[in-house]
Formats: sequence, structure tokens, C-alpha cells
Amino acid sequence: MADFLTGVYLVYSFVGFYFMFLFILIYVQNRKKITSVPKMTKKYPISMVITCYKEGDSVGKAIDNLVNNGYDNLKKIVVVDDCSPDNSFDIIKKYEKKYPGLVMAVQTPKNTGCAAGAKNYGSKFVDTELIGFTDGDSYPEKGALQSVMGFFDDKKVGAVTSTVLVKNRNNLLLRIQAIEYIVIKFTRKLLEFIGSIYVTPGPLAIYRRSAFEKIGRFDERNLTEDIEITWRMLYNGYDVKMSVPSKVYSIAPDKFKPWFRQRVRWNKGGIQCIFKYAKTFGKKGMLGVFVLPFFVFSWLLGVFGLFILLYRIVKSLIVRFLLTTYSVDAHTAILRMEEISLNPSILTFIGLVLLVVSVTYSLIALFSIREKAHHKKPTILTFIIFEFFYLLMYPIILVKSAWELGRGRKTWN
Amino acid sequence: MKYPVFVQALALTIVVLIVGLYAGMSLEGSKLDNMNDYYIQSEVTLMDILAFNNLIDTEDVGCETLVKVNLDFMNRAYEEASVLEEYEESGRLKENLDTFHKKYDVLRTFLWINVLKTKEVCEDTEIHTIVYLYNYEEEDLTKKATQNVWSKVLLDVKEEKGDSLFLIPIARDSELGSLEALISEYDIGNYPAIIVNEEYVVTENVTKKNILSLLE
Repeated sequence: MADFLTGVYLVYSFVGFYFMFLFILIYVQNRKKITSVPKMTKKYPISMVITCYKEGDSVGKAIDNLVNNGYDNLKKIVVVDDCSPDNSFDIIKKYEKKYPGLVMAVQTPKNTGCAAGAKNYGSKFVDTELIGFTDGDSYPEKGALQSVMGFFDDKKVGAVTSTVLVKNRNNLLLRIQAIEYIVIKFTRKLLEFIGSIYVTPGPLAIYRRSAFEKIGRFDERNLTEDIEITWRMLYNGYDVKMSVPSKVYSIAPDKFKPWFRQRVRWNKGGIQCIFKYAKTFGKKGMLGVFVLPFFVFSWLLGVFGLFILLYRIVKSLIVRFLLTTYSVDAHTAILRMEEISLNPSILTFIGLVLLVVSVTYSLIALFSIREKAHHKKPTILTFIIFEFFYLLMYPIILVKSAWELGRGRKTWN
Repeated sequence: MKYPVFVQALALTIVVLIVGLYAGMSLEGSKLDNMNDYYIQSEVTLMDILAFNNLIDTEDVGCETLVKVNLDFMNRAYEEASVLEEYEESGRLKENLDTFHKKYDVLRTFLWINVLKTKEVCEDTEIHTIVYLYNYEEEDLTKKATQNVWSKVLLDVKEEKGDSLFLIPIARDSELGSLEALISEYDIGNYPAIIVNEEYVVTENVTKKNILSLLE
């Protein structure tokens, strides 16, 4: 078994090093281009769709924020209420009166049960060249829309995504997510340089309307419509770009349970995408050559790694339990100094080097972001918890997602 | 190629892992060399003891000296086996150290035979022997735990009895003909097993108190 495990560790080390080096090399080769965006040559007319479900507390602020975004060719803001049981629609109606001719309040005929349904419904009221989507609890920073415009001069560009950051950072879970979002946005930008952006997140994504309609809008059967539509963009030969200066601050889950549910939903959506696009494996440009294999192998390695880890933990606990019980029965010491060995193996060194490379990567990501002073900066402690504990949750979420999908649970919550 | 960075990352990964594995193999190789040096020294010591055995009939060498050299050899073999165990735990890449383990089992079987001879020659000297027969390739977790606990109990006994006790742990699954011949007369059905003073075979209820009572 030891030889098998050594082989497993070496395979994991190889994969880990490969992706770390891939991202670091992409960064090194493109670091001067990361924050730059193409110059705006045309003020494309754009309409924004804000979806809202039970977000009466925040949707008003989201509308105000968008109206004051500073882009003067914003033609329409369609605010879609997905039949919220609270007073969301009444609030939206008030804002329609507050901003006549700009804000349009609409309500779906019945609750669609997913963000994709509300987004698609809202998109029917849009006739501008570009269409953007944001949530009722997301706040694009001033200038966020303007920064994406230059990308659309290239006719191949079908979608432009943005820098999504955590707005609320008043507990540990939120502060850890703030770090996670920064690392994710950094990675997403690096993926742009190899044509492999795999998601245009819901808090702020802009699409060329002709492309959006041509590919058939959002897939309402997928739990992560923002991942699925990006894959479909790639499948249909469109480029997807990212505007780093376009920042949008979003409300992240502040408690463990909703956080876990959200992550399970993200992963279930990802798995749905894997199955939907399985036939493109190795084909259809970077979707089949990199994005899909990257998802598949991440999932397989994550789940397999979790089982190996569990095997080792359970075995170690059993041995420790037996040793303690037998030692007590035999009236001898539970642990003797001679048993403590500090002789590390080569795998320990390889693991440590990989850890250093991984921490370096996360630090580069953290230092790549420039935020205004009032946003809380990550502390060293939060970073340590993120790097050494939080990331270990990922495989557990993967297993839970697969389990729920296997049992046929495909609902939003 | 549209994105040469994929190949560059692959090349970098291969270089880093090859360097890492080469360093690891060199490190483990140097440990093997260390073990070899230790083993040669132990072999020399053993030959020295055998020479002493031949001198016992002469007036020049007394039992006290003979017991002392045997004890020194036992302690030396114990310490080297501990180092070997540490190396085995950290060794991952090269062929494991099974052969060295067998070599030390041969040395300790030799030691047991030698102590038996010494006992015969030096009847008046208080010499106790505990031979601990365990399985080196044990996969059963309960037996592994049992072996670990028994070795701790025997170390407790050794600490209590001091130089009058020869504690000789030998892996019984080393496939050594001499060892098989030695233990065949005890008719042991279960392992691990402890042979106390070539009189008692203990295969259960191993506590310091029980073992000490058998040594009385």
C-alpha cells in the first residue's frame, strides 16, 4: 500500500506543480497586461438586467448604484422580480417612478425557481447592442461599465466578465471569502490569456446581445447559468474577456450553512456542464482542450484525494485507538520518546515546495488587487486559515454535490 | 502552437520533479551507505565476540568480560536497528531496506546463539534472555498495535533489569534457517511471541509484571 500511496502522491505533486507553474508563467508573461483594458472607441448602448428574489432590502441601493455608474449610454435598467414573497416588487415599482424612462420594473408571470429564468425574462425587454446582468445584491463600482466597452470592438468577443469582490467583510467567513474571490478573479484573468475563461459571474457580466440571443440565452435547467453560458460562448467560437478594472462588490453568505449550500449549487452546476459538454472533450477549441479537462480532472483528483485523506485519517485513528487501549491494558506508556521520528521523506520536501509555490501564487493574487481604503484588507491570520483549512473544504463540497446530483436533486436551494 | 505556455509549464514541472526525485534518491542512497557502514562495524563486533567465545576456555578471559561484550553488541545492534527503522519510515523512492533488516535479524540470531553458549559456560553469572519474535511484514492493524505495545513493555522490563537481561527482538518472518531451527522446539502457534529464558513462551497477557515474574 505504501508504494501505491507514493505513486498517488507523485501524481498529485505533478498535477499540482503543473498548474501552479502554468498560472505563474502566464502571470510572468502577461503581468503588464493584467489591469489594462482596450481603449473605448465607441460608447456602445447597453441595457442592464437586475434580477431580484427576496432582496427588498438591497435592490433599491443596487438600482441607485447602477444609475450613478457614470456610463452615459446606459439606455435601460430592467429590474426583474421573480415573484418574491416580500415587498421587493413594490420597492422596484417605486424606483421605476424615481427614474422614469430609465428603470423598468417587471415581474415574471410565476416564480421561475432559478436566476436563469428571471434573467431570460428580463432580457426580452432589451434591444440594445449590449446586455448586462447584475444581481439585486451586487454593486458595480463607478466606471465598471465604461471599462468593458473597449473589448467589444473585437467582433469575436461575445462576453466580458468583471472583478467580483466581497462587499460585506464583518466576520471571519466573509473575510476568508474576500481572499477567495480575489484569488478566483486573478486566476480568471490569467485564464483569459489562454482563451479559457470558464465563467462570467452573475454579479456583473456584459454580453453582446446578438451573440447572447444566437446561442439561445441562459440555460434554465442548469444551476450555474453563468458557467454554462460561458461554455456555450466558447463552444460557438466566441471569445470571453475579463475587465479587471470593472469591479463589482457582491454580498457573500455570512453563515456556514448558506455558504455551503451556495458552493454545493456552484459545483452541481459545474458537474451538469461537464455532462452537457462531455462530447466536446478534446475538441471545440479551448473548451474541449482545456476548460472541460480542467473541470473533469479537478473533480476526479479532488474526490479521489479526499478518499485517500480519509483512508489515512481513519487508519491513523484506528491505530492510535488500538495503541492507547492496549497500552492501558498492558500498564505501559502510551507514547515513548523513541517513537517520535523527525526524519522527513522526500515526499515531505516535495509537498513543502508545492505549498510554498501555492502560497506564493495566492500572495501574488492578493497583491494584484487595488481596493479603496474603506474595504477591509485581509489579515495574515485570515490568509493562513484560507490557505490551510478553508481550501480543504472543496473536495467535501464536490462529494456532496455529486451525491445530491446522483440523487436527482437539481433545485436552486 | 497557439499557447506555448502549456509546454513551458510541462517542461518546468518535469525539470523540478526530476531534480526533486534525484535529490530524494541521493538522500536515500546516502542513508543506505550509512546503514552499510554501521552494518560492517556490527559484523566486526560480532566476529570479535565469536573470537572471545573461543578464548573462554583459556584463563585470560572471564565471564564478566564475555557478558559485557555481548551486552555492548546487543545495545549497538538495538541502536542501529532503531536508525534503520527511522530510515525505513522516511524511505519512499529507492528499494526499501528489507535486506538490511534481514541482516540485522541474522546478527541478532547470532547474538541469541552466542548468549546461549555464554549461559552454558558462565553458569554462575546471572544472565536472562528475552527473545521477542514479531512479524516484520504485519498488515493486521490489531497485531501491529499489539507488537508496538509489547515492544514498549519489554523496554520497560529491560530498564528494570538492566545489564542482567538480554533483550533480543527478531523478525520471525525473515526466513532465516538458523532462527527457524532455534524456535522450532518451542512449537509456537501465534505471533508475536516472547521466549523468556528459553523456558516460557508468552503469547498473551503481556505486562511488565507478568514478564518480571517469569524472570524471577
